[in-house]
Amino acid sequence: MCDWCEKYGDGYERWYFNPANYARRLYKIRREEAEASGAEANPQAAGGMAFVGSDFLEARERGDTAEVERMKQQLEGAMWLTHFGQVITLEEALKITDIMYPISLITCACRRSMEGLPDEENFTCMGMGAGMYKWERWPDTYRGGVHFLTPDEAKEVLSKLNKRGLVHSIYTFGTPYLAGLCNCDYPDCAAIRTVIDLGIKVLWKGHYVAKIDPELCNGCASCVHRCQFRALSFIPSKNKAYIDQFQCFGCGLCATECDQEAITLVERASLPALANVW
Amino acid sequence: MLPTITVNDEKCKEPTSCRKCLLICPTHVFGLGTDVGPQKFREIDPSHFIVRAVRLDKCSGCMDCVNICPQNAIQVSFNGGDAR
Ligand code: SF4
Ligand code: SF4
Ligand code: SF4
Ligand code: SF4
Repeated sequence: MCDWCEKYGDGYERWYFNPANYARRLYKIRREEAEASGAEANPQAAGGMAFVGSDFLEARERGDTAEVERMKQQLEGAMWLTHFGQVITLEEALKITDIMYPISLITCACRRSMEGLPDEENFTCMGMGAGMYKWERWPDTYRGGVHFLTPDEAKEVLSKLNKRGLVHSIYTFGTPYLAGLCNCDYPDCAAIRTVIDLGIKVLWKGHYVAKIDPELCNGCASCVHRCQFRALSFIPSKNKAYIDQFQCFGCGLCATECDQEAITLVERASLPALANVW
Repeated sequence: MLPTITVNDEKCKEPTSCRKCLLICPTHVFGLGTDVGPQKFREIDPSHFIVRAVRLDKCSGCMDCVNICPQNAIQVSFNGGDAR
C-alpha cells in the first residue's frame, strides 16, 4: 500500500481525497517549518531548483555508493516531511478541484528558474488553500500574479494542460498538507528531473500502471511523445508501442492520447511485483 | 566526468532578460536563482538574479554556453584543466 494513504488516508480511497489533508489548521504547521528551515531551504535562494548540491554528484561520480545512499536517504527523509509530490491522473486531478478551495493558477517556479520563462508563458502551476489569499506577501514566489479559479475553470485548465502533455501531481507543503497541483514535464520540473536523473524520490509514482493491449494498438505512435518518465517506447519490428511497467509513473498521459483505447490504467496495488514500487 | 562551471556575477548583470545560456544548453544544466532569497512584500530587483550550473552531471562539455554568453561570464573546465 502507498505509505501516504496508509498514514493520511483515513479511510479515503487515496490520501489526496481526504479533505483533512487540505485543512486550514495544517497550514500553520507549514509556516513554522518553513521559517525554521530558513532562506537556504528556498530553492530560489539556493539557485536553480536543485535538490542536491555538487557533493552528491561528486560522490556519485567516484562511485561511493554508501555515501550516495546516505545522502539520498537524508534528503528523502527531509523532503517527505516538508515538500514532495505524487503523480496523479487527470481524472484524479479533476476530482480534487471539487474537494479543495480556493484553487489558483500561478506561474511555475521550476520553469522560471530553469528557462527564465516570462510570466505570461508560464501559467501552468496551481496553488491551493489558505496560503493563496496571502500571495501578495511574496511577489517573487507568485510572479505574474494569481488567477483564482472556480472549480469548473480549474477543470478546464487542467484538461487543457493535459492535452498539452503535462503531468499532474499533487504536492505537500508541510506533509500532509496538500497545497500544490503541479503540471510538469522533463527536464525543467525539478522533481521529475531529480527522480529520473538521480533516483531521489521527491516525486512518488502514482496509483496506476499503464498497460498496452497489443491487439488494439495499431502502431500510430501518437502516445510515444506523451511519456515524461522514459517508460514508453516503440518497437518498430512489431509496429507497437511498449511500456516498461516498472518505470511507469502512472500519469495516464499516454492513455488519454490513444484513440484506439489500447492503453488502460491498472491499479498498482493489483500487481504483486509493482504494488510497492513507488 | 563532472565539469567545473563558474559564472561571473559581475559580468552577468541581468540574466532574466538575457537567459541565452539557459536556453542554448542542450541538457538544461543551468538554473536561475537569487542572491537574496525570498523578499516579503518586495519584488526582487533583476540585478539580484544569478545564474548557476546546477545539473553538472548532464554537462557534455560542448561549450555552447561559453560561446554564446555576450558577457564572457561562463567558464567550463574538465579535470581541473584550463578553463575556456
Ligand atoms: S496511441 Fe494507442 S494505438 Fe497508437 S501506438 Fe500508442 S498505444 Fe498504439
Ligand atoms: S507509460 Fe504512460 S502512464 Fe506510464 S508514465 Fe509514461 S505516459 Fe505516464
Ligand atoms: S558546456 Fe554545453 S552541456 Fe555544458 S553547460 Fe555549457 S552548454 Fe551545457
Ligand atoms: S548568457 Fe551570460 S550574460 Fe546571459 S544569462 Fe547566461 S551567464 Fe548571464
